[in-house]
Amino acid sequence: MNILQIARKELLIHLRDKRTFIFMIAFPLVLILILGTALTNAFSSNLAVGDMNLLYKDNIRNGQLASSWGQFVQASQQEGITFTKAAADEDGLKTVQDDQYTAYAELSDDGIKYYGSPKNAIENNIIQGMLTVYADKFNLAAAAFKADPSPSSVANITVASGSFGNFIQETSLNKDKQPGSIDYYAISMTTMIAFYACLPASALIQNERTRRTAIRLGASPVSKIEIFTGKVLATTIVNFLCIAIVVLFSRLAFKAEWGSHYISIALVLLTEVVLAVSFGLACSYLFNGGAARAFIFIVIQVISFVGGAYFPIDITSGVVHQISQLSPLRWANQGLTQIIYSDQASAAIPVIVLNVGLSAALLIVSGLYMRKREGL
Amino acid sequence: MNVLEIQGLTKKFGDFLAVDNMNLKVREGEIFGFLGANGAGKSTTINMISSLLRITKGEIRLLGKDIAKHNRFAKMNIGIVPQDLAIYEEMTAYENVHFFAGLYGLRGAELKERTFEALEFVGLAERAKEYPKNFSGGMKRRLNIACAIAHKPKLIIMDEPTVGIDPQSRNYILNSVKKLNQMGCTIIYTSHYMEEVEEICTRIAIVDHGKIIAEGTKEQLKSTITDTKDIRIGYKSDQPVNLKPIRLIQGVERVMAQDQMLLIHSKAEVNNLNAIIQQLIQDEVEIRSLDEQAPNLETVFLTLTGRNLRD
Ligand SMILES: Nc1ncnc2c1ncn2[C@@H]1O[C@H](COP(=O)(O)OP(=O)(O)OP(=O)(O)O)[C@@H](O)[C@H]1O
Ligand SMILES: [Mg+2]
Repeated sequence: MNILQIARKELLIHLRDKRTFIFMIAFPLVLILILGTALTNAFSSNLAVGDMNLLYKDNIRNGQLASSWGQFVQASQQEGITFTKAAADEDGLKTVQDDQYTAYAELSDDGIKYYGSPKNAIENNIIQGMLTVYADKFNLAAAAFKADPSPSSVANITVASGSFGNFIQETSLNKDKQPGSIDYYAISMTTMIAFYACLPASALIQNERTRRTAIRLGASPVSKIEIFTGKVLATTIVNFLCIAIVVLFSRLAFKAEWGSHYISIALVLLTEVVLAVSFGLACSYLFNGGAARAFIFIVIQVISFVGGAYFPIDITSGVVHQISQLSPLRWANQGLTQIIYSDQASAAIPVIVLNVGLSAALLIVSGLYMRKREGL
Repeated sequence: MNVLEIQGLTKKFGDFLAVDNMNLKVREGEIFGFLGANGAGKSTTINMISSLLRITKGEIRLLGKDIAKHNRFAKMNIGIVPQDLAIYEEMTAYENVHFFAGLYGLRGAELKERTFEALEFVGLAERAKEYPKNFSGGMKRRLNIACAIAHKPKLIIMDEPTVGIDPQSRNYILNSVKKLNQMGCTIIYTSHYMEEVEEICTRIAIVDHGKIIAEGTKEQLKSTITDTKDIRIGYKSDQPVNLKPIRLIQGVERVMAQDQMLLIHSKAEVNNLNAIIQQLIQDEVEIRSLDEQAPNLETVFLTLTGRNLRD
């Protein structure tokens, strides 16, 4: 197996390069520490959730529905939401606008009409989310007040799934399980540095050419595909090891939250490294020499920025939003956040599929270019 | 037996014809000199023999087998010493040779043994554990050779293996080439140094514009130029010698003055020595020495290609 010979040599060279470790391990750890401590307040989540007061008008006739509503109110009240039944002539909308309540809901056999205060977005979201689950559970059609002036606070309570008892607990408990700044940067710096693997990858073949060792490799009875595979393998291993160290170190030394789904997290990060390596290789075939490096640098900066590497980005529309959806860092970060904070190991799957699919495409492109080319 | 047979070999880079319908045979046990000025097409030919470049047209047979059809066989039997150093600075001398030899299917104890053998052969065994960045130019060149021979190829191709090194290392390398040859390797040797080629090569081909324009032993090549001679006249003069009247003397083809020495290239059948000396005396040039020679390889090359081997 000549692939192993190639990979072994590549590992040797990588592991002897101190720059690899400084850049791939020390650099992200320092950034996690600096950004994580400097921006602590921006992430402080305990302050964010205030009182949650819901005013509701009960027009339910159906007895079964009425009793389920009763249970729902009870369960929710345990989680800290205050429910107040509105008087018959009370103008619910106005009380919310006057800031007496967080939200107002009108219940009937047909569904729930909901109006949340735009001033208390987080509390509003939590109540709305819980009502959504309730509505879903009982197949209520949901609608929002047409009269509401602010579109962002109008809720179309539509169908979601799941048992509401669970959901109530999770939604309200989640207010405590939010990433702090160290946690946030542990994730975002790790995924960013994982993607930096494309830089060494872009130099894999070029280095052999400038060293002239490409001549020896080309003259030896080793196929190009073996050389290619060995190199991809070694670069992936080295970079993944660095990432693993960053994760472990940030967890142990900085107490960053990484949850408990290690395998899912490892797979997300591993496939991200593979994607980065494939991307770097493809660039080295598509662009000549320095152009590949320049291009990669720009791409890394853009996807890091819109992927939320340096600070959370919350743009929900427009060009920047669309670009941000294309950032592999964004989907890796979102996936990891879900795995860690929603306790969903399965959130890894779409990320892994996307990473592997794109990697395969990029590797095929590189392979085609490689075959066309004379020499290595 | 022919180790290498090249037939109608052609290489085009776009529209540029780098190797033009070349024919060549290298016999077993030869040290075959490949001479050509810059850009003549030596490296391009070598790169096609070692499968680095695709053949545009023609055929290369190694030990009787077409290398296009028996590529692995061909690669296993060729060792290449590239024109530029091709080693990893991040790996020790030992690791370099070990890695490249390992690509030829050698493993374990045998691989280790061959690696040491090769390092021993180029005189680097004692420094096997060192990194090439601490090596002199000559030592790097020797390591460059070690990387090419550990797998014991039948044919070793050396593309200017002595470029830019001290005379001591050069002698070491030239002796290694002879030793490899005695051990049964056939060698193709390119160089810009005519003395090297004269010293070690059993047969020589002169390449120009991608074609072989002459081929044979040194003696054969020199005898192709029976119609010219070189006259060297050592002199002493404070003034530059006026070369014009000498050029006009019958039979003289080229005249150069260099370090108080006149080099006159002339037709062999004309006896013009008297006329030249008379002219010099008339110009009050003090003659110190006089020497008439049959042409050497340098002259052969110059006559055939109209170019100096080194620019
Ligand atoms: N990849 C290439 N693309 C285009 N032209 C090339 C390429 N490689 C070589 N050439 C051209 O082919 C010609 C022969 O080059 P080659 O390297 O074979 O010369 P050489 O005899 O080895 O010269 P030198 O003594 O300088 O090493 C040169 O004119 C060179 O510019
Ligand atoms: Mg050359």
